[in-house]
Amino acid sequence: MNSFLKIALLFCFSLQAWATEAPLENIRVATDVATVERGADALMDACHSCHSMKYIKYRDLLNFGMDQQKVESWRGDQPLDAPMLAQMSENDAVQAFGKAPPDLSLMTKARDAGASYVYSYLTGYYLTADGMPGNRVYPETKMPDSLGIIGVTDAAQRSEIQGKARDIVSFLAWAADPHDQERHRLGYYVLGYLFVLTFLLYLVKNQVWSRLNKSPTEQGAI
Amino acid sequence: MSNRITEWIDQRFPLTSFVKHELTGYPTPRNLSYWWNFGFLAGFVLVLQVATGIFLAMHYKADIALSFDSVQHIMRDVNYGWLLRYMHSTGASAFFLVIFIHMARTLYYGSFRAPRELLWWTGQGLLLLLMATAFMGYLLPWGQMSFWGATVITNLFGATPFIGDQVVVWLRGDYTVGDATLTRFFALHYLFPFLIIGAVVVHLVALHTVKSSNPSGINLADKDNIPFHPYFTAKDFFGLGVFLIVYSVFVFFMPDSLIEPANNIPANPMQTPNHIVPEWYFLPFYAILRSVPNMVGGVVAMGLSVMMFAFMPFLDRSRISGGAHFRPIYRLQFYLFLLDMLVLGYVGYVPPTSQTMLIGQIATLCYFGSFFLVPFISRAEERWLIRRGLPQGIITLMESEAQDIEKRKLKQHLRKGDKHE
Repeated sequence: MNSFLKIALLFCFSLQAWATEAPLENIRVATDVATVERGADALMDACHSCHSMKYIKYRDLLNFGMDQQKVESWRGDQPLDAPMLAQMSENDAVQAFGKAPPDLSLMTKARDAGASYVYSYLTGYYLTADGMPGNRVYPETKMPDSLGIIGVTDAAQRSEIQGKARDIVSFLAWAADPHDQERHRLGYYVLGYLFVLTFLLYLVKNQVWSRLNKSPTEQGAI
Repeated sequence: MSNRITEWIDQRFPLTSFVKHELTGYPTPRNLSYWWNFGFLAGFVLVLQVATGIFLAMHYKADIALSFDSVQHIMRDVNYGWLLRYMHSTGASAFFLVIFIHMARTLYYGSFRAPRELLWWTGQGLLLLLMATAFMGYLLPWGQMSFWGATVITNLFGATPFIGDQVVVWLRGDYTVGDATLTRFFALHYLFPFLIIGAVVVHLVALHTVKSSNPSGINLADKDNIPFHPYFTAKDFFGLGVFLIVYSVFVFFMPDSLIEPANNIPANPMQTPNHIVPEWYFLPFYAILRSVPNMVGGVVAMGLSVMMFAFMPFLDRSRISGGAHFRPIYRLQFYLFLLDMLVLGYVGYVPPTSQTMLIGQIATLCYFGSFFLVPFISRAEERWLIRRGLPQGIITLMESEAQDIEKRKLKQHLRKGDKHE
C-alpha cells in the first residue's frame, strides 16, 4: 500500500507541467529517419542561421542514416566531426535580437511538456490587435515567426506549416535524446530477462521455503 | 581440495565461523513479511550507485566550464554512457524510495523500540548521509536546477547564529556557488558513499546484535527462528527481481521523468528559474521550510522534521507489542502521517500561493503534532487496549514466548549449576 502511494506520488510529480498558462497542443513526435531528416532540412532553412545545435556533429546525422548528399550540403567545408554551430555569431545575434538565441540540442528536454511545448510555440504566432506579431505560448519571445504562420488562413497551407513544425520538433527530439530508440530496444530485452529471472527466483524461494514445517505463527495465531 | 583451502584460511581468518554466525546460522524470525526486504534492497542500490558512479567519474569533468558538456558527452558519445547516467540518476530516486519504505516499515511495526534504539539511530545517521550525498550529487550536472538548488540550500546555513555568513562562504568556497563549490561537492560526493558503507557496517553490526524485529513485535522463541541463508537469501533475491523490474521500467522507458526539465539548461547565475523545486524526495521537508515565515525558524523546523524520527523510541510509550499491527489508533496515526507527507510533498512541488501556503502550514503542524501526540496517545491507547482485552492471538504468543524464555533460563541455570559442581 505504502509503496503504491509513493510510486503514485512519483507519477503525479513527473507528469505535471507548470511552465505556461496557454493551452499546448499535444503532439507525438515521429522517430523514423525520413521525418527526422525532413525536420533537419527544415531546421537548416528556418532556424540554423541563428540557433546552434552544438551537441550534434554532422557525423551523427550520417550515423543515424540521413542522406549523405544532404549532410554534405549542410556542412559545406566544415569537417564531419564539427558541431552544428549557428551561421550567425552570438555577438551579431545579440545585436539583432537583444538576446542570444539558445542552443537547440536539448530544447525538447529543457521545457515542461517538451516536444508539445516547442511545437505549440513554433505554431503559436498570431497578429495582435495593434498589428504586431505575438506568440501565445511565450509572449516575451524575441524570435520572429520563422515558419511564417502569421496571417496564413488557408487551411491547407496552415496544415503544411504545422507539418513542417512537427518535422522540426521530431528532429529536435531525436537530437535531445539520440539513444532513445536503442534504449527502448534494450529495455524490452532487459525486462524480458528480468521477468524470467524473477519468476525462477520465485520458484527457488518457494522450493527453499517448502522445507519448513508450519509453525504456530503461520497456523493462524497471527 | 576446497576443504583444505577453507581449513588453511580458517586457521588464519575466521571465515567459516563468520559465514555460520552471520548467514547460515544467523537466526531470523520466520514470519518476516516482504516489508523486511527493503534493507537488503537499500544495500543493493548502494552498491549500484557506487559502481555506476565510479564509471561516471571517469568521464565527468568537475569544472563549471566543462561539467554540463561532459554530462552530454557521457549521454551521447561514451559507450552506454546514457545507461550509466540514467542508472545513476534513477538510482538516487530508487535509493530514497527504498529507504522511505524501510523507515515506514520500522515505524509501522515499532521496530525502533527497545532493544533496537541504536539500530534506529544509526539508520537516522545513514539517512542524513544519504541526503547530503544526494544533494551534492545534484549540483554536478551544473544545470539550472543544480545551481539554484545548491544556492538556496547553502543559503540556509546563513541561519547559523553569529557566524552564518562565514559558514555559507566556507561551504561554498566562494561568495556565490561557483567553481570552488562544484569541485568540493564532487570530491565530497565521491567520499560520502564510502562513509555510508562504513555506517552500513555499523548498522549491520547493531542489527546482528539485537536481531531482526518481526510483525508480531515480540521476540520469538528459537523454534520460530530460521537461518538467514538459504531462507531469506532466497526471499531477498526474489524481492530484488521485482525491484529490478520497476527500476528498469524507469531507467529504460521514463528516465527523464525523474529529471527536472530546467536541469537541461546550463546553469546561469544571471537568470533565476521561474520556480525552484528540489528533487521529489526532499519535497516534504522543503514544504516545511517554506511554511515557516521566518527563515531561521524555517531552517530549524526543516532540520527538526528530519530528526524527529530519532525521538520515536522515547515518544512511543506503549508496551503493546507488534507496532501498528495490534494498535488500531497507532495504525490510524501512521496512515494519517503518510497522508500528511503526501500533502507536504504536493505543497513543496507547486509554486507557493496563499492557499498552498495555508495548506502547508496546517500540514506542518500536523507533521510535528503527530510526533508530539505519540506519548499521550500511545499511553491512552495502551490503557484502553488492556481494559478492552488484548486479542487472543497475541496473548497466546506472549504466553508461549514467556514460557520459552522461562525454560531457556531454567536450562541455563541448570547448566551453570552443572559447571559449579
